[in-house]
Amino acid sequence: MNDTRRTVDARGLACPQPVILTRKALAEGGFDLLELIVDDASSRENVVRFAGFVNCVIEEVVEEGAESRILIRPGAGAAAAVTARVFADPIPAPFPLQARPVTPGSPCETVFIASAGIGTGDESLAALLMRGFLYTLTEGETVPGRIILMNGGVRLAVEGSDSLVNLRRLAERGVEILACGTCLDHFQVKDSLAVGRISNLYEIAGLLTQGRTLTL
Amino acid sequence: MELLATFSGSHAALAAEQALLGAGLAVELIPVPRQIRSDCGFCLLAEFDPGTAESGLRLLRAWGAQGLWLVSSTQDRASSRKVKNYERYP
Repeated sequence: MNDTRRTVDARGLACPQPVILTRKALAEGGFDLLELIVDDASSRENVVRFAGFVNCVIEEVVEEGAESRILIRPGAGAAAAVTARVFADPIPAPFPLQARPVTPGSPCETVFIASAGIGTGDESLAALLMRGFLYTLTEGETVPGRIILMNGGVRLAVEGSDSLVNLRRLAERGVEILACGTCLDHFQVKDSLAVGRISNLYEIAGLLTQGRTLTL
Repeated sequence: MELLATFSGSHAALAAEQALLGAGLAVELIPVPRQIRSDCGFCLLAEFDPGTAESGLRLLRAWGAQGLWLVSSTQDRASSRKVKNYERYP
């Protein structure tokens, strides 16, 4: 028996549109397989992760140059999992967040870093302060649950960054490092991400509004 | 051996870091530990093996190291974490 297939072309669309289109298609249903076509790595990873959250199986991911074709098979209850949340455009609700234990007694769950340095006034001083801050985090008895990097902050996590060694130390202690895919794209450093994983606005917005966040 | 070097200011510490890294030595710029007093908030943590210790020390002094401390680690029984100790290096 041939599977029915729906194809959604999300090429040329910026985060989080590919995930939104995936969500809409899964909510509508009416097919055995959903084929999502994207043209950047962060969209591919975000769609794959989202599909997993809503009880779908990734049958195949075919990469053809910059494009990826993601074949998704909705599992039982996928449509219900997707529609269980209220989605109100133009501000869609975040998809289910990964449940992750936070270090007991940690001073904050999330450290949000939106630039490569701390403060304004002198760029080299700002960079130095960031290096020092991240080092002191590694020396702490407890560590935050995660570090979210956006805008210039993503530069801290790429090859050649002075802060890479400390981010890696934190990752070894269980700190989740999330770098905004849109930002990595903007600075054209996505291929140079050297620690952590690519995230998206859905996930980041949800995490920032979820618990105690320290914003640098 | 692990040595910690303090400087008169962050510019000096940064310059020393670049010089020692350029010489192929293993150094890291870190905030000054609470146990040590310094004019500057940052210092260099250097790891020298027997072959690089002499040249490393010479470079640190040439690039303005004001104080040198020998770093050692002990295990804290209560927390099971490693605690660093600093002893003035002549």
